[in-house]
Amino acid sequence: MRLDVHTSLRTFFIVAGGLYVLLVLACAILPAASMERQYPITQEWVDPRVERGEQLYQSYGCIYCHTMQIRGDERLAKEGPDGTLVVPVLGADRRFGLDEPSRAEEYRNDDPPFLGTERIGPDLLAVGIRLPSAAWHYWHLYDPRAVSPDSNMPGLPWLFHTEDTQQPEDEKVAPLFDLDVPKGRLYATPDAQALVEYLLSRTRPESRR
Amino acid sequence: MKTKVGISVFIAAAGTDPRFARLVHRYLLSAVFWLLAGSAVGLVVAFRLVDPTLFGQSEFFFHGLMRPVHTLTVLFGWASLALVGLGLYVVPKASMVTLSHGEIRAANVALWLWNAGLVIGAAALFMGFSTGREYREIPWWAMSFIAAGDLLLFTVFWRVISRRTVKGIYISCWFILAASFWIAVILVVGYMPFFRKGLANTVIEGYYIHNAVGMWFTPLAVGLTYYTLPKLLNKPIYSYALGVLGFFTHMVFYTIIGTHHFLFTPLPDWIETVGVVFSVAMIVPVWASTGNFLLTMKGERTAISLSYSLPFIFVGVIAYGLVSLQGSIESLREVQEQWHFTHYTVGHAHAALYLFVSFLIWGSMYGLVPRITGREPEPAMVGAHFWLAFGGMLIYSVALFIGGDLQGEAWVERLPFMESVRRVIPYMVWRSVGGMFLLAAHVIFAINLFKMRPGAFTMAYESQGRK
Ligand code: HEC
Ligand code: HEM
Ligand code: HEM
Repeated sequence: MRLDVHTSLRTFFIVAGGLYVLLVLACAILPAASMERQYPITQEWVDPRVERGEQLYQSYGCIYCHTMQIRGDERLAKEGPDGTLVVPVLGADRRFGLDEPSRAEEYRNDDPPFLGTERIGPDLLAVGIRLPSAAWHYWHLYDPRAVSPDSNMPGLPWLFHTEDTQQPEDEKVAPLFDLDVPKGRLYATPDAQALVEYLLSRTRPESRR
Repeated sequence: MKTKVGISVFIAAAGTDPRFARLVHRYLLSAVFWLLAGSAVGLVVAFRLVDPTLFGQSEFFFHGLMRPVHTLTVLFGWASLALVGLGLYVVPKASMVTLSHGEIRAANVALWLWNAGLVIGAAALFMGFSTGREYREIPWWAMSFIAAGDLLLFTVFWRVISRRTVKGIYISCWFILAASFWIAVILVVGYMPFFRKGLANTVIEGYYIHNAVGMWFTPLAVGLTYYTLPKLLNKPIYSYALGVLGFFTHMVFYTIIGTHHFLFTPLPDWIETVGVVFSVAMIVPVWASTGNFLLTMKGERTAISLSYSLPFIFVGVIAYGLVSLQGSIESLREVQEQWHFTHYTVGHAHAALYLFVSFLIWGSMYGLVPRITGREPEPAMVGAHFWLAFGGMLIYSVALFIGGDLQGEAWVERLPFMESVRRVIPYMVWRSVGGMFLLAAHVIFAINLFKMRPGAFTMAYESQGRK
């Protein structure tokens, strides 16, 4: 049989469509399946507040400015003292307080994992270790420039209440340095609490789910 | 001086089915609507990267909510609708048939489905329904509308090509028909309920991001040009065989390079390497097409300078070659350490989708649409569109290339992180300046498109009772 893609629409379609589907199977579906087989999803209990925080992180699109991955150069991997392979962290990523690159199993239950493709702000893979203070995060989320003057991160003041508007389920935010809103104290809504809870849960490696 | 062809276009449009002219024009009107909306949103995002308190602190303007609305509207609204709208022109013309009434109706329904998907999707994003996955942020129930629209279009293209009155299937039809099938596969894989977690999701993400740009926008834009360029120059394409080579190498290489978005991640090394190697191999299909177009244009300097549509195509063709070469370089591990995660990537994305895809759209649009509507835009206004868009995007992308490089340099040199934030602010300002030029260009373009609306001559078709 002669393959005439020029005059037979059907032959053309079988080639262009069929070959494409095969390539997709080989280079997307099979590798994805093998990743999932290698690092199977585990069912673990997660604090519902952390889960809510993760949801907020996703829907507010923090991912467009923050990564959650420490890159490592596998080509420079060396055998460590205990015989396991040690992958060095890429030079540009050696600043977020971590000396080991991301590992596949760290993300296994993340839906979706927040690896990110842009780093306008710092990496947040282990922000809970670097910045363990809830008060700091509250003030930072309320007004990033209050704690980091040159920041171009937008604030999320709608997640907070003041003396006048506070609700029973709100949490009073501890003062930080001498920051304060003009109207008096700052109160974190349950959503703000969840988001900060999530950020604080980002610690490696033991407590990551 | 650019001359107004006027009367000959009026005659060329004679005998065009007005329903067909209105169909193509309607697709383009939708596209320009989304372009205006999307660039306004993009400009707000750009301004707020300079000063995040501009326009107030309302949730509505939050970067993470507005950015996916920008990419949704410009990618799936502007570029997609403009490309398939022109595809609806090119496929029947290259097959030497006219669209039947049923096909026109189906294409109209597809347009409404597509627009509905965009409206629902954008609303869902503002309401916080993002899936958190790049370029497929809108929920599946919004994307289904777009997928359904695409399937309708695929059947229209299929039927038209199978009714063709010429023996061969012209290469433009190859690209356009194939792309409308490929995007269906891409959307299915991107939205299927499997492999949503962990690094399995990342493999799919790399595939999805790169195939959306490489197997949808790129083949459509290249396919259009294979029709428009020879048509406007009134001569055949330089080498048909080179085009065929380009098509098949494009299909094989472009499909498998998605992992170049995730180098140095815990993905298996071999799949990252495949991504890098074939990214470099992409030079073959890219220059097969670019070279082909350039050789077709060789010796046509006067024709290009006299036309108001060919300069757009000229820029688009050169940009295709250059941004893709840039992409091949960007995918090397050596430069990824510094450029990945920076504004350099955003510069590449805009240079590609703007100087390449959008300029080829405009070239085809200004070159083809008057032939079916019988009305031409004001040449001076087209010139203003060209220079504002070209100048604006040069400012925009060069600012991001420099800014992105300095941003990455701050990381490699281990300066404090805030240094990388402070450094790019002046470039964020320049990008916004470029963006304002672009918005002005888009307003002028909208006026030009309105000028090209189906004219009196095509109306006469109906009054003559020709059905
Ligand atoms: C426009 C981009 C942008 C967006 C969107 C954004 N950030 Fe940021 N973020 C930054 C920048 C820039 C910094 C560094 C300056 C600073 O500390 O404010 C930063 C810093 C941070 C820090 C401190 C990290 C450190 O190591 O100092 C945290 C925590 C943070 N952001 C959380 C978030 C969360 C949660 C969201 C989503 C609600 C978010 N960011 C959205 C740009 C952004
Ligand atoms: C007035 C014109 C435009 C302006 C001001 C503008 C601005 C922006 C801004 C500020 C971003 C976010 C970048 C970041 O997060 O760092 C962005 C992203 C993006 N824009 Fe535009 N844009 C414009 C037109 C367009 C057009 C016409 C297209 C496509 C046809 C486009 C495609 C994209 C894409 C694909 C991204 C994502 C880039 C990435 O993830 O790397 N933009 N744009
Ligand atoms: C063969 C040609 C090309 C190659 C090898 C290539 C390579 C790349 C690479 C390596 C990146 C990732 C950069 C990073 O994150 O560090 C990238 C990003 C991007 N490219 Fe290309 N590119 C090519 C052509 C194109 C074309 C033609 C388009 C548009 C039609 C395009 C659109 C984009 C977009 C939108 C992004 C941003 C993706 C994101 O948000 O993460 N590219 N490209």
